Amino acid sequence: MMKSLILGLVLTGALSNVALAEDYPTRDIDLVVPFAPGGAVDVTSRLIAATANTFLQGAEIVVSNRAGGGGVIGQSFVAGADPDGYTVLAMTSSVVTNPQLKGAPYKVSDYTPVAAYNLDPEVLVVPANSPFKTAQDLIAAARQAPLNMDVAGIATSHHMAGIALSNATGAKFSYLPAKGFGEQLQAMVGGHVDCGLWAMGEALSHAKSGSIRILAVASDVHDESMPEIPTFEEAGLGIPIWATFRGWAVPADTPEPVVTFLSDLMKKVFEDATYQQKMKEGGYEPTYRGAADFQKIITSYAEQTSTIIEENKMGK
Amino acid sequence: MDQIFLGFAQLLQPSVLLLLTLGVLAGLVVGSIPGINDNIAFAVFIPFSFGLPADQALALMVGVYCAAAAGGAIPAIMIKVPGTASALITTIDGNAMARTGQAGRALSIAMTSSVVGGLISSLVLLVCAPALANIALRFGYVENAALTILGLSSVVGLLSGNVLKGMISAALGLLVATIGYSQVTGLPRYTFGSVNLIEGVPFVPMLVGLFGVAAVFELLRDIFKERRESQPYTSIPVIGSMKLESGLVRRLLPVWGTSSAIGNFIGVLPGAGMLMAIYLAYDQAARRYRRRFAGKEGEAEWGKGTPEGIAAPEAANNAVTASSMVPLLSLGIPGNSTSALFIGAMALHGLVPGPLLFAQHGEIAWMVIVAFLVANIVMWPLAFVVIRVVSRTIFSIPKSVMVGIILLLCILGAYSDGNNLFNVWVALGAGVVAFAMNLAGIPLGPAILGLVLGAQMEASISNSLNISQGSWLIFIDPVNHPIAAAMIAFSALMWVAPLISGLRGRKEPAGTGQSTPVSES
Repeated sequence: MMKSLILGLVLTGALSNVALAEDYPTRDIDLVVPFAPGGAVDVTSRLIAATANTFLQGAEIVVSNRAGGGGVIGQSFVAGADPDGYTVLAMTSSVVTNPQLKGAPYKVSDYTPVAAYNLDPEVLVVPANSPFKTAQDLIAAARQAPLNMDVAGIATSHHMAGIALSNATGAKFSYLPAKGFGEQLQAMVGGHVDCGLWAMGEALSHAKSGSIRILAVASDVHDESMPEIPTFEEAGLGIPIWATFRGWAVPADTPEPVVTFLSDLMKKVFEDATYQQKMKEGGYEPTYRGAADFQKIITSYAEQTSTIIEENKMGK
Repeated sequence: MDQIFLGFAQLLQPSVLLLLTLGVLAGLVVGSIPGINDNIAFAVFIPFSFGLPADQALALMVGVYCAAAAGGAIPAIMIKVPGTASALITTIDGNAMARTGQAGRALSIAMTSSVVGGLISSLVLLVCAPALANIALRFGYVENAALTILGLSSVVGLLSGNVLKGMISAALGLLVATIGYSQVTGLPRYTFGSVNLIEGVPFVPMLVGLFGVAAVFELLRDIFKERRESQPYTSIPVIGSMKLESGLVRRLLPVWGTSSAIGNFIGVLPGAGMLMAIYLAYDQAARRYRRRFAGKEGEAEWGKGTPEGIAAPEAANNAVTASSMVPLLSLGIPGNSTSALFIGAMALHGLVPGPLLFAQHGEIAWMVIVAFLVANIVMWPLAFVVIRVVSRTIFSIPKSVMVGIILLLCILGAYSDGNNLFNVWVALGAGVVAFAMNLAGIPLGPAILGLVLGAQMEASISNSLNISQGSWLIFIDPVNHPIAAAMIAFSALMWVAPLISGLRGRKEPAGTGQSTPVSES
């Protein structure tokens, strides 16, 4: 009797949850971008919101910027939000490393991944007039004497990629951190550094214009528009994949149907032709990975970075 | 050339031209409201620009960007509260001139200087953008380090008699700049475990506090003083005639030229920023003034209402707006934080700034450049309308009510930069600090420069030493880094010059009427 009562209660609870989730969404959904307007995450989030809103009835996705603390402010806000699907985080790779590196007050497990919309593999770049024609030339030189490498900052995913590259090849680099991509680009195009590790999305348009060259891309596939660029493995750099990601995540206890709804919504957005075109024009390769695949990407990124962070005592 | 005409054609569509004009109007108003600046205006506007076609959205942004820098001078002159950071120095001579009953003259000088600076800069942009872009590329880590040292050296020109207090101020700015995640080591410094400080003290709220909130305290002090001494309220200055005599125009021409050139040069260099340009321009104008006019019949003391003290920073800040587009459009490198927002707005419309922009979307790229020219032309008459309207409606509000309104706007402005309550505390705290510094007679200018340049100076010096394997000689290497060596030499000159002329002044017999050149503002 007691058992069935409990079972009944649990079922009713679960059902009411489902009922709530079935109506979802009944009001506007907050898409929290933890950065200021105008950046890559903000721009892509606004593109997605605009496309998604053409599929939604009676509710809209509203982008809200909660900037500060290198993303930690907005990320923490979502970690502590009600798990009802009305607060969604524009999630980036920094969520994985921020607890270790910046003492962020959340854990990666505080979020349930929804879907990834953009994977940005690391690329090895050199100035247009660099003497290095292939990645192997560069590695050979860097084994002899350290090369100056232009990265977005110390203890960023780009710096960690450099350390992983050193571990895999024995090449030595001297890291020159920059504040913002503009400074990195200036140093590279002006020939003030030997090489750099950048995000593909930032590098591609400049490689196409001929102001820089991409020697290798840390992905398992070739870029459609520049298929001549070898992958890190083909170039013998010993790292299979090194990519940062952009996607959606919700607070950990969000009901499953809501996660599925959002994940399917992202899929519809991904299949939209105008969205595809706009993303490509902006330099972001549109991708779609559902909740389970996104979780795998996050786990693999966490494994890659956490060892490097510990070995190099970063953030301490 | 065809491309330039295509750019013109794009701009001269009625809808685009209308939005440019709207932008200029909005920029002037936003600029003239303390606590709200172009950065905050863009943060609000970028989401809205999503629905506009690219040419209209960019025209509107150019208008706002251009005019906000000019509009900041209006409250700077009328109530000694800079509307934007770019009008920081305009408060000194501008308000002093307004208090002598020449508010109209001061405003007119400010607006004309802004328009002239902007026009010169956009013409330079139109003619030699690619050549200028190549100059930006010559700037590596060593050159950037030397540039920050040059910028900080312009502090010398701002020291008001007490050199020690100026140094304290600069040191304070540099120290606050060390708060946050260090670019060099990747470790957090002085964050006291607060995630709000990871990126350092939030910059926009801090500026809002230093200018806006501090001004509120000063207005309050004035009010109490007037009450205690039962004086009538000192009313807002009457604007009066806004006509500039031709003799003054002729006299200001060289200042406009120098300041525009400084603004142009600094604007092209990524990371140098508008504040550095206005300080350098003010410093140069001060030197010229002391040589030619100081102590003459009918001339105000430097810092007490000289036309040059208004013209130099205003010409320089508008020159920066246009020239900061050079590295942005041609290389994809933003020159300052506001122009960086253009990248976001462009990306929303599938445009990527950089060499490909001119090849693929030449009409848009040139339209942006031409828009700066037209925005400055449109701004001239509009500015005078805004001055009349704004001063009649806003500045006619009683002082006690105005204090509340400015404070409210400051809090709103600080909060809207990231929608974070912490920013409000930063603004209030910075206001208290700035007011305390004022009471102690410590100038604010050097602290601001330290704040703006601190992190960049640290990182670029560290990176330079990394390249030279620890040798400091890299900064004075005339063979490999001639630009850096020249800038270091020029900085040294800025420090030594007042010393020498100070010594020379002492040798002169007393009573020649020439006061020591170091004292000002």
